[in-house]
Amino acid sequence: MNRRKFLTLSVATAMVLPLGAWATDYRTLKPTAWTAKKVDDAVKALYGDVELIESSDLVVKAPKVATGAVPITIQTSIQAKSVSLFQDVNPESAVATWTVPEDGIVDYRLKIKLRQTENPAVVSVVVEGRDGKFYTAHTVVTVAGATCEG
Amino acid sequence: MATMKIKAKEKDGIIKTKIQIKHKMMTYKQAIKKGVDANFITYIIAKVGEKIVYELSPSQFLSKNPVLKFKFYGNKGEVLEIEWRDLSGEKVVESKKIK
Repeated sequence: MNRRKFLTLSVATAMVLPLGAWATDYRTLKPTAWTAKKVDDAVKALYGDVELIESSDLVVKAPKVATGAVPITIQTSIQAKSVSLFQDVNPESAVATWTVPEDGIVDYRLKIKLRQTENPAVVSVVVEGRDGKFYTAHTVVTVAGATCEG
Repeated sequence: MATMKIKAKEKDGIIKTKIQIKHKMMTYKQAIKKGVDANFITYIIAKVGEKIVYELSPSQFLSKNPVLKFKFYGNKGEVLEIEWRDLSGEKVVESKKIK
């Protein structure tokens, strides 16, 4: 197989694969994203080198001051393919990735562990839209008191 | 240990769902402290019939006994099936009828 043929083939496979994959387990699909120490690195490992657009259609809710596990709410009207949650205080950045089914409603709630630090924690959400663009939003949480350490 | 609490209620064609999974969600750091193996949920999927309605690949930073809330379009009387897997390879499937 010459180089050109190989390249075309690999591009073709790369385009077919995401469509064919019904169930997406991001942990086995993108193992490097889960060990990244910085939010930027984790986003890069998960989605590649993409431009993030700050969007007001994406709502991330968290209490300003939290003790114990921190409740996070993610809501968006953007037609999403996947939604990822990151934070910058725990040893690793990635928290969770949802695969949004077609006509799925993005209204997710869950509680996460955040380590107590001097600076408030920044929780970021990245949405991979069905239009191929990437949207992002942030919220800031001050972790007071002992929570489950990361 | 392997238990799940599932609530699924229909209103105006939207199913509001709440799941609690009983799991220690032991992070790597906590595990070193306690001298045990880290163990946390790595994959959760919810289906109605063959249709996937919720899919999550979490990391170690979900809280202990995580509660997950989500919504999807569906009908009363259908059966919601939830499956999760953790790091130790344990796999649990439970189902519940939508009210």
